[in-house]
Amino acid sequence: MTTTAGAGILVRFMLRQERRGLPWWLIGSGLLVGYQSVGSQDLYGTPEALAKLRATMTGNAALLAMSGPERLLDTIGGEVVFEIFGFLAILVGLMNMFLVGRHTRTDEETGRGELIRSTRTGRHAPLVAALCVAGIADLAVAIVVFGAAAGTGLPVAGSVLLGAAAAGAGIAFAAMTAVAVQVFENPRSVYGAVGIAIGTAFVLRAAGDIGNPVWSWLSPIGWGQRTFPYAGDRWWPLVLPLAAGAVLVRVALILLDRRDFGDGLLPYRPGRATASWALRSPIGLGWRLQRGSIIGWTAGLLVLGIAYGSFADSVEEYVADNPEIAQYLPGGAAEVVNSYLALVILISALLAGASAVAGAMRARHEETSGRAEPVLATRVSRRAWLGGHVTVTLAGSAVAVAAAGLGHGLAYGIAISDPAQALRLAGVALVQLPAVWLLVAVAVLAIGWLPRAAASVAWTFVGYCAVVAMFADSFNLPDWSRQASPFVHLPQAPLDTVTAPPLLIMSALAAAVLTAGFAGLARRDFGY
Amino acid sequence: MTSAISLTGLVKTFGTTRALDELDLDVRTGEVHGFLGPNGSGKTTTIRVLLGLLRADAGTVRLLGGDPWADGVALRARLAYVPGDVTLWPAITGGEVIDLMARLRGGLDRRRRDDLLERFDLDPRKKASTYSKGNRQKVGLIAALTSDAELLLLDEPTSGLDPLMEAEFQRCIEEVKAEGRTVLLSSHILAEVEALCDRVSIIRLGRIVESGTLTELRHLTRTSISVETFRPLDGITGLTGIHDLTVDGRHAVFDVDTAHLDEAVRHLSGLGVRSLTSTPPTLEELFLRHYDGADKS
Ligand SMILES: Nc1ncnc2c1ncn2[C@@H]1O[C@H](COP(=O)(O)OP(=O)(O)OP(=O)(O)O)[C@@H](O)[C@H]1O
Ligand SMILES: [Mg+2]
Repeated sequence: MTTTAGAGILVRFMLRQERRGLPWWLIGSGLLVGYQSVGSQDLYGTPEALAKLRATMTGNAALLAMSGPERLLDTIGGEVVFEIFGFLAILVGLMNMFLVGRHTRTDEETGRGELIRSTRTGRHAPLVAALCVAGIADLAVAIVVFGAAAGTGLPVAGSVLLGAAAAGAGIAFAAMTAVAVQVFENPRSVYGAVGIAIGTAFVLRAAGDIGNPVWSWLSPIGWGQRTFPYAGDRWWPLVLPLAAGAVLVRVALILLDRRDFGDGLLPYRPGRATASWALRSPIGLGWRLQRGSIIGWTAGLLVLGIAYGSFADSVEEYVADNPEIAQYLPGGAAEVVNSYLALVILISALLAGASAVAGAMRARHEETSGRAEPVLATRVSRRAWLGGHVTVTLAGSAVAVAAAGLGHGLAYGIAISDPAQALRLAGVALVQLPAVWLLVAVAVLAIGWLPRAAASVAWTFVGYCAVVAMFADSFNLPDWSRQASPFVHLPQAPLDTVTAPPLLIMSALAAAVLTAGFAGLARRDFGY
Repeated sequence: MTSAISLTGLVKTFGTTRALDELDLDVRTGEVHGFLGPNGSGKTTTIRVLLGLLRADAGTVRLLGGDPWADGVALRARLAYVPGDVTLWPAITGGEVIDLMARLRGGLDRRRRDDLLERFDLDPRKKASTYSKGNRQKVGLIAALTSDAELLLLDEPTSGLDPLMEAEFQRCIEEVKAEGRTVLLSSHILAEVEALCDRVSIIRLGRIVESGTLTELRHLTRTSISVETFRPLDGITGLTGIHDLTVDGRHAVFDVDTAHLDEAVRHLSGLGVRSLTSTPPTLEELFLRHYDGADKS
């Protein structure tokens, strides 16, 4: 029996398991490319528009850091790659990470793998099969990306190269996951390590695009960008992900031979034997359960804010060059920088709102999973239990919103040499906080009174607010249809002057809705 | 004697399902009360009503002298609960869960906690996602047993425990009983019920169909008799409470209702007993009769 016996059967079995999830990754990749391609051709379709864009971008380090090497801006296709490739590579990287991780380490951890290994399959078969499945998925990504790019009118040769470059990044990250799977004993650590690797790859390519290009050559994302699809079509960098993939897979197989089934090379790190001082109350529990996502979202919004903020200074120039953009900005072209900041801060607040709603819905998940039951069998009342979760959510959303504003202010402040902008824009962002809290309050109201429909109600409301905020003008939505969005009723700082009454009324409304939600929970059956 | 739990005419419906159908249950202070019944008969639902998680549609609920729906928090401070399937937070260790639950209940007795960890042989440093089913159950048990609550509500607390741990659990409940505390123990493990319970109640389709001490319940069943007599077996068919009788010359095999055992034995001894074996009903027989008997009624 060879060490890969049975891999073929496993590949078919794994593909069957993935038939629901995989299409979404492919659709996501296709949409990302297609949407960007249509949008870019719309905005920068003419050589003059493209030349103006190049002029705006040159030397804007923050923007280059979020996008790609300037050379891509030579053609419209290249512009698409410039904007999208980093994110496409992250998406494909995550897809590969989950594909390989799920069918190797997760299976081993849950014992499903034991069932498989007890049949006539070889020691290497699950890993090899998982890598084959990842390879098949990457091929599909290449085809979908090619289709989306060529289908929206970009040159065929460049589109083939773009698809291949995306698949190349995927292969490199799949092989990295294969190694991480041997090292760590539980899937969370594997995903954490590969996630850091993907993030590092993004940062390295950013460093290469701003400064010394050598950095980009250390990054699978950089390899893909530096094939320069549509802007020179350079094929040879595709060798790099293939070579790296081969080496890493070889390493993974060697490591696999050196460890026991179910173990990692790094043993699982035991946790605390006793609870810390803070884990003693419903709020302590709420913090413990939400802190990971609160810290993550706060950091993410800070970075996003820095990215948006770094663009604020050049936005004036940019809008003068691209008058069509002005229609998306509240307040039009007149107060360009302030309208721009108002829009991006609103978007950040919506993201913070979405994360806060996810935090509030955790309470519902605690209820349906049965984890809340033993807590409520102690001296903790339902009000205190929900209060613990929601307090953490509300406070966390305040921190996240402030971080987003701070990020905008830091980057904008550096650009215009005015450090005071940091605190100013943090304050400006907090103007949106009462609306964020109202989103949370509506989720709590739904948990109290419509528990089974709570997730749909809460997320529909978030989606509605997002549509109103971002598309109401471009879709020409009638005025009345926007009125249910709390964000509409708050001043759009820093464009509008801020007055206290709308903020106080919105906060009071949120408090009233929260109270109603708590009352609903107190009177209904718990757990269903 | 006072009652720790007293339910009368308790009704709970879920949509069209009548999960509890005029249930009456009485658990006396200081006893270990077995709560038995087939799957889906309403044990967990009853316990959830007692915890104030579900609101009764009709009937009265008295728990430790109060109403768990109205004065829940004050009452729950005096009880501890173990669910049948302990679900834990994946990233929090067993030790942390035990401490948290104790603190939420009002205080942590660290000596007792460490003692129980040792007795149940549980590693408190593992994240819950890496515990096996049995180890998760141990976390729930230890969290409840570290408390000095007057009332323990245990819903199939030993599902998934190995025999060694099952024995340890029984020792713990003996200690709880010796301290005069009350236990409501829902269980499918008859040996556990037989070893621990002072009284049992059997629930079927949301109703209590039998309640009493095990001895009392045994009386409601039959004893198997195999007998050989000196004189011919006259008149035996005329006895009341005799079932499944087969007579072969002077040898007879039959079941007799425990209530009529005395009468039957007197009659047999009048015929001169050469040999007699009597087999008391096993607990299994007792329960199996209740578990599927009522389907026919
Ligand atoms: N939320 C609910 N919605 C609808 N029906 C329910 C709900 N909860 C319980 N039931 C029904 O109520 C009945 C009693 O269920 P319960 O969980 O109390 O049984 P049980 O005696 O604990 O069973 P087991 O021995 O399997 O644990 C079952 O018919 C069950 O399907
Ligand atoms: Mg049950």
